[in-house]
Amino acid sequence: MNFANASETVDRVQEKPRGPGKAAKYILIGLGVAFILIMLVLPLITVCVYALKQGWEVFSGAITDPYAIKALQLTLLATAVAVVCNTVFGLFASWAISKFHFRGKQFLTTLIDIPFAISPIIAGLVFILVFGRIGWAYDFLQAYDIKVVFAVPGIILATIFVTFPFVARELIPLMQAQGNDEEEAAALMGAKWWTIYRKVTLPHIKWGLLYGVILCTARALGEFGAVSVVSGHLRGKTNTLPLHIEILFNEFQLTAAFAVSSILVVTAIIILILRNIVEFKGRKEESEHVR
Amino acid sequence: MYVELKDVNKEFKGFRALNDVSFSIEKGKLVGLLGPSGSGKTTILRTLAGLAHPDSGDIFIDGKRVNDVPASKRGIGFVFQNYALFRYMTVFDNVAFGLTVEKKDKKFIKQRVNELIGLVGLEGLQDRYPHQLSGGQRQRVAFARALAPNPHLLLLDEPFAAIDAKIRKELRLWLRETINSLGITSIFVTHDQDEAVEVADEIVIVNSGRIEQKGNPADIYKSPATPFAARFIGESLVLDRHETLHGFETYSGYDKAVIRPELIQITKHGKQPILHASEDGIVEDVFFRGSLIEVHVNVKGMRLIGHRSPEEEPLLPGEKVSVLIYRLYLYNEDKVHLAENVRLKNENTVFI
Repeated sequence: MNFANASETVDRVQEKPRGPGKAAKYILIGLGVAFILIMLVLPLITVCVYALKQGWEVFSGAITDPYAIKALQLTLLATAVAVVCNTVFGLFASWAISKFHFRGKQFLTTLIDIPFAISPIIAGLVFILVFGRIGWAYDFLQAYDIKVVFAVPGIILATIFVTFPFVARELIPLMQAQGNDEEEAAALMGAKWWTIYRKVTLPHIKWGLLYGVILCTARALGEFGAVSVVSGHLRGKTNTLPLHIEILFNEFQLTAAFAVSSILVVTAIIILILRNIVEFKGRKEESEHVR
Repeated sequence: MYVELKDVNKEFKGFRALNDVSFSIEKGKLVGLLGPSGSGKTTILRTLAGLAHPDSGDIFIDGKRVNDVPASKRGIGFVFQNYALFRYMTVFDNVAFGLTVEKKDKKFIKQRVNELIGLVGLEGLQDRYPHQLSGGQRQRVAFARALAPNPHLLLLDEPFAAIDAKIRKELRLWLRETINSLGITSIFVTHDQDEAVEVADEIVIVNSGRIEQKGNPADIYKSPATPFAARFIGESLVLDRHETLHGFETYSGYDKAVIRPELIQITKHGKQPILHASEDGIVEDVFFRGSLIEVHVNVKGMRLIGHRSPEEEPLLPGEKVSVLIYRLYLYNEDKVHLAENVRLKNENTVFI
């Protein structure tokens, strides 16, 4: 009897709403949905509608255009190189920062964030100032006949620069939270660094790593500003997909521009889905293994 | 001596973590490093293990100087404070790790791991992950993992800190028995004196990077060697006007005194047979502690704490009582003196 009473009291306490009431809840949800519809869903639908406006022929013509294919290839190349470079950099940087003590560690952490803070245009200009005709490395590069600015290396460099915090940023907090105990325990038992990294560190960060790689890929595929500055817009040579779209748009080939855009939109959606899967799996595993 | 530290010093950014630390341990002993947090006891353990490196001084294990021997070659098993189990490996893989690293034969590994899992009583849990275990079970896994490669020396950093109070006592006994049956020389770190007294054969008291005293628990309890040891061990209370107490007037040259509940007898007023050696006091507070009653008494403006049995006649706050002090630990900056109540010793002496 007493028991029943006690549980009733508990129920009543739990039922009592905390914070804002029901009206506020629906207003907030409504506002959120409206914002996403107007700002995200509508533009995306417009892109797809516009792309197919003049029929399938025009659409497929635009995306199979040799220049479009060249641009897609360059974008994929720049993305692949940037992702590989930044993954390697991210693994080393996060390892150095989270597992060792050294002078200027905080400074290094801040430096990694610079591409987030700086406008991509400035990033592009920096490369022009370093490697371009007026840059200090120009004579050296000229002597060895290396072209950086207005050539593929410049585009790759700009893409790497813009996307380099992504992997490191994902890994540093994860590895700091893990601490050094497990690594120390493994080292004490005579494990070499590679064994420790593979068996102890990596299992802990694998989902974060994948998440960072996905974000990095998404950003690299869509990079426009920095690449635009160093590219020189040579069709079929230094044009990436976003730059190709801009050119089409400026030439009033709206349907073609939107058709090519739809390639980026579709990849973006695929990446988004992948990202959510990775995030979900990572969270699940995290909550299981971390006490 | 099996393990020996000689004048070991270690500094962290201007903070003297270890200050001329020297002590030695016999083979097969279970030793507790006891001290308040920040006293340097964990640093001593890490230095022994090779996880930290001394600025100066020598470390010997089994007669060999190991300063330049890497941690993994010192033959040490280490149990970390939070166990540091590999959370993405099963219990079996955790225990097997050290043997796998040594590239031991698969069959041998399996046999050895199963033997250890049996030793720590975790049969049937081989395939669990650390997060599926209780605190006590995790400690046992950490213990088995440290023992797997057959170390000569076992180091345990606060082995009971992460375990709830109820099973802690049980685990202490278990650990003591298991270590004794294995006969492995072991050193553990703790800030809990009950734990040190209960588990260790020998206690080393550490304070601000120095060794204060080393001895078996009873000796450390009975005759503290330094003022710190006197204050730190037992339920110690510091008095600053000890010379006003009956029986202690003649001791001079000491600033303060340490008193513990077991050095005091509190009796109802008028029931104290040795009246000339005792003091009058007023009961301030009475606390029921289960197996005993804790009584706070005001004597000449000083608060003393004594214990009484629940079987004795209860005392009430405000009541007048007789307080007999058997002994005090008198100390000044660097000396400790065990002072007996002189009126008890020479009962015939007449005092004015």
